[in-house]
Amino acid sequence: MSLTLQSVGRRYGDTWILQNLNLEVGSGECLALLGPSGCGKSTALRLIAGLETPDEGSILINGEIMNGVPPDRRRVAMVFQSYALFPHLCIRENLNLGLRIRGVSPEDQRRRVASILEVMQLGSLAERRPSELSGGQRQRVALARALLRDPFVYLLDEPMSNLDAQLREELRPELKRLVLQGPQPVVYVTHDQQEAMALADRIAVLRNGRIEQIGTPRELYERPETLFVAQFIGRPQMNLLHQEPGLILGIRPEHLRLDREGLPCRLIGREWLGAGQQLLLECSAGTLRMLCDGTVEPGNDLRVSWNSSNEHRFRSDSGTRLS
Amino acid sequence: MNRRHLWISLLLIWSLAPMLWQLISSFTTTAALVDGAVPFVQRWTLIHYRQLLSSDPPFWRFLLNSTALASASTVLTITLAIPAAYGLVRLPQRWLRTSRALIAGAALFPYVLLFLALLELARSLNLGNSLLALAIPYSALSLPLALLLLTAAFEGLPKDLDDAAKLEGMSLMQRLRWVLIPLITPATASTAILVFLFAWNEYPIALTWLSRSDQLTLPVAMARIAGSSVYSVPYGAYAAATVIGAVPLLLLVLLFQRQIVSGLTNGAVKG
Repeated sequence: MSLTLQSVGRRYGDTWILQNLNLEVGSGECLALLGPSGCGKSTALRLIAGLETPDEGSILINGEIMNGVPPDRRRVAMVFQSYALFPHLCIRENLNLGLRIRGVSPEDQRRRVASILEVMQLGSLAERRPSELSGGQRQRVALARALLRDPFVYLLDEPMSNLDAQLREELRPELKRLVLQGPQPVVYVTHDQQEAMALADRIAVLRNGRIEQIGTPRELYERPETLFVAQFIGRPQMNLLHQEPGLILGIRPEHLRLDREGLPCRLIGREWLGAGQQLLLECSAGTLRMLCDGTVEPGNDLRVSWNSSNEHRFRSDSGTRLS
Repeated sequence: MNRRHLWISLLLIWSLAPMLWQLISSFTTTAALVDGAVPFVQRWTLIHYRQLLSSDPPFWRFLLNSTALASASTVLTITLAIPAAYGLVRLPQRWLRTSRALIAGAALFPYVLLFLALLELARSLNLGNSLLALAIPYSALSLPLALLLLTAAFEGLPKDLDDAAKLEGMSLMQRLRWVLIPLITPATASTAILVFLFAWNEYPIALTWLSRSDQLTLPVAMARIAGSSVYSVPYGAYAAATVIGAVPLLLLVLLFQRQIVSGLTNGAVKG
């Protein structure tokens, strides 16, 4: 199974929301669309689902052109940020409605709903309405409904952004096991780079409706092609130093190390995080964030350096990578 | 708190006293109605109700006529208004705003001004003296209000729900049947009641379209009672007719009062 976007564009009036979007998601692959809000990532999902029509280009599912195919015939499952559960139906009916509409035999409906309720550990909640469920439970129902759709493509629109951090971590392996293991291509929209790195096989970083860079999480981390990507991937953010005119030097906080021969700095802030700590330093070239071991006690005479192999160099005017 | 109770009591008296008056009058003998000196125990009678029900055609016939007509108008209005409202909401914002302004204009238009033109229409289309044909102008006149209420209801639904239903493989009709219409039930109920009320109370069009006595609706029949004699006004009979005409409506409103209130405030507050 596969999903292909060929130079897809979408505009509202004169403003292009998405432009020249080319994507290829293979069987069993999870692609994350990552970007700040308003970068067009949700619009991309809606185009794939058929909820909006592209003004340019075409979308192919399993090699078939989807232009003009209405959303109810595309066999695409989407998990909405708002979950979009039907509020007037109990959980069982929520899951069953689609099966019934699609003409699944009553016996099959019962069997499949029962098994998904079991897999998602929702059995005891089957007769409740969505309003009586917690955020995490609603999320699981939304996921269960997507699984029952038996789709060609999974689309996940910030599926965990309404959950607290702890719940997110709990749900992540579940999501991986249930959705990402199947043969279907998965497109995962998020603005959380950590989530994208943890779940996706490849990440497309979007900015103002264009793909800034696309690659594996490792590629994006190790070799960001633009300043924007460099700052978006990796936390804490990459340090940017303006040492020479026309050039911006990037160093990740985790690549700085204490070195008696290095750049002299002054400690201006410190966040202790247990296993590690983040130091905020001031040096002649600007402020630096530095990650180091939690046991280090920074003294008065702080000097830092880094390996030149960890340097990222960008042109200061266009923000593109040099070398 | 006590002040508030006082105000509420005053308001209730203000609005309920006329009804109570009618109720008492309907059980009062004709003599007692004009003579306060009649002793209390001799004032009461059921004669007005007996008269109404034994007249020709019996008064329940008008009740039946009105019920049939109001129900038909309501069903017709709702059947037309739900798809229309859904269509309006899915229009681009600019068009929706324009059409809503036009619809509000139509809703505010004093429809009495139309009754001569409507009469002309009835005459040329041969719709005079046919009770259920009145449902056509009634639903046309109720549609603007119904559209305003139902578009607000559809707008209040999260768009994701409609989209999720699409992705579940539902066609437009299936979405309306299984998701959208069930979700706007409160608004539909309050709209239906308002349309029913309008059709139940409407007077000028019914007066001009209907003349055969077995086809009359309640308001027209009541007016005929009031004007049946040149020399006296039959207050008692008139009061009894009012009571009989009001009871079905009261029942309806009591039955659906929760839906009416929640439907009317629908869309007023964005959650």
